[in-house]
Order: sequence, then structure tokens, then C-alpha cells
Amino acid sequence: MQQIIKFIFSPMAFALGFLWPLITQLLIAGSLVAPGWTAIAAGAAIAVPWGLVAQFKGSWLWIR
Amino acid sequence: MDQVVDPTNVDALSDTQLDVLERQIANKYMRKVPWGAVAWGIGNCAFFFTLLPLTILGYVPLWLGFVLATVSIAASYLPSHEAQHNIIAGKGKPLRWLNELVGHVSTLPLAYPYRVLRATHMEHHAHTNNPELDPDYGVHAASDWDYLVKQIRGRLGGDGGNTNAYGETLERVGQSALFADAIIYEVVYLGVLFTLAWTGFAIEAALLWWLPRHIALIYISYYLSWAPHHPGNETSRYRDTRAFKSRFGNIVSMGMQYHIIHHLYPRIPLALTPAAYRELKPILARRGCDLGAL
Repeated sequence: MQQIIKFIFSPMAFALGFLWPLITQLLIAGSLVAPGWTAIAAGAAIAVPWGLVAQFKGSWLWIR
Repeated sequence: MDQVVDPTNVDALSDTQLDVLERQIANKYMRKVPWGAVAWGIGNCAFFFTLLPLTILGYVPLWLGFVLATVSIAASYLPSHEAQHNIIAGKGKPLRWLNELVGHVSTLPLAYPYRVLRATHMEHHAHTNNPELDPDYGVHAASDWDYLVKQIRGRLGGDGGNTNAYGETLERVGQSALFADAIIYEVVYLGVLFTLAWTGFAIEAALLWWLPRHIALIYISYYLSWAPHHPGNETSRYRDTRAFKSRFGNIVSMGMQYHIIHHLYPRIPLALTPAAYRELKPILARRGCDLGAL
């Protein structure tokens, strides 16, 4: 249970649960990518590495 | 209570007489139910959770929804603050249920649990400006600009003061059971954000709850913690909090210009702190309080 809670509150969970669809929908809204799998893949390509950096660096930006 | 001390010339009063007069004045403003705060807390919560679906369904433009949500979340803390101090009704009083209802309901838009806020806020009052024991000590910064930078950095995971101060406080005061409240609130909040995001409403979720909540927390903390306690290097009763004149007025500064009254007499309702301040001002000046330009 503790591990599950720890994961839910982790930067990676936030990246997967929120940033990924948010970036995908922003790319579509900005007409940068067409809706569909391409947009989802593009969202993942940005959100997942960003989440990994936040997870291991402890910061969403490189200002720590 | 009859007036037993002449209030017209506080300089002529002894310290004991000053104490008596101060308490007499403060007492006049206590034990009054702040019905405005009750309506504000419950009404604002209802407004926020009506605004979310109305904006998501397109009845309210997203830009307007963002502005209204930010204002609503920023306004959500103070009614709970009244409840935290049992101002609506103390333990054992007939309206106690209302006090607790307002406390719990008003901070739902803020996604912050009432019982955690109350437990940590009592420690803030007990140990104001104490670097080890005041859970709000981490907000201190050299200037308001430094405060803003520190808050943003902290929220991005950088060095923004002690971000676990509330957790450490709960452990220290033996209230670790309240971690459950915090976990439940956070799980539900994230659950709503994630669900909205993966059902096609990520931008709406970001602009109606995620970003407004961050802005509101920075705003609330600025006016409730940074501004009235700046520079935060004194811990005595009459010097740990200051009065200040906000260039944006009393409503925008959430009544915190008079926060010194709240720290001296936490049972005075927020709406009555300006009147109490005006009446107590000569006494506070003699006490050596920092009254700024107010």
C-alpha cells in the first residue's frame, strides 16, 4: 500500500497521468500535430522523459 | 463588562491597566458568529464545483473559467480559517456542527484537508517565526519578489524552503493520523485531474483546478504568512506579526493588513479585525508593535 501511495504521488505518475494527455491536447490545440496516435506518441515523447528527469533529479526544471 | 480604565490617554496607564483595557476592547469583538464567513465558505465551494462542469461543458468560456476558478480557490481558505479558530462555534456549542462543516467544506476547492490545516495552524500561532517549530517559517524571504521566486522554485521541486514542514509538524504534535486525510485529499484531487485529462479535458483540468490551485496557494501564503510576519525575525507576542498597508486594499489583501489583531486575539472574526484594530491602535503603538503605514 505504501509503495502504491508513493508511486501515485511521484513525478512519474504525474507525468503519465496528467502531463502526457495535457501535452498531447496542447499539441493538437496548437495545430502542431494531427489528432490520433501521432499526437499521443508526441505527447509521450515529451512527458515521459520529462517525468523521468523530475523523478530522478527531484525537480521539474534544472534549477535545483 | 464595564469600562474600568480610561482609554483616552493610554500613555498615562500602567502596564496592568493597559492589559485590562486591551482585553476589554478585544472582548467586545469576540463571541460573534461570522455568518458572512459561513455563507462565503459554503457558497464559494458550491460555486467552484458548479463552475467546473459548466466550463467543461462549454457554458462558460475557458478563459473566464480560469479567472473565476483562481479567485474562488484563493477565497476558499479564510472561512476555514475562522473555523480552525472555533470562531463560528466552540466545542460543545449548539452550532459546533456548522463550525466543522464550514471548516471541511470551504477548503475543498483548495484540495487541502481542514484537520491538517487546523493542527498545523495552531502550531504556527504557538510558535510564530520560530525556525524550528513554526510550520509556516519556510515562506520567509527577503522581499516579496524573493518570496515569489522561492515559491515557484519550491513548486517545481527546487529549493523552496521546507516543503515537508506540515508533515513534520503533524508528527511532532502526535497527529500523524491526519496523514490519512492528506493522502485521501491528494488521491481524490489527482484522480479527478488524471480522469479529466485522459477523457479529453486536460487543458480544462489544467486551467480550472491545477494552475489556479498553485496560484491560489502562492497568493494565500503571501498574504497570510509572508506579508504579516515579514521579516520574521521576532517571536514575542507584540512583535511576531505586523500591520501593513496594502497598495491593493483590504479585500485583495484578504483582510491581512490587520493580521496582528488575529494573532493577538484569534477569536475575533476576520470581518471585525479592522474595527478592533482602530480601537486598539493606541495600545498597540505603546506596546511597540510594527503598525506600518496602517
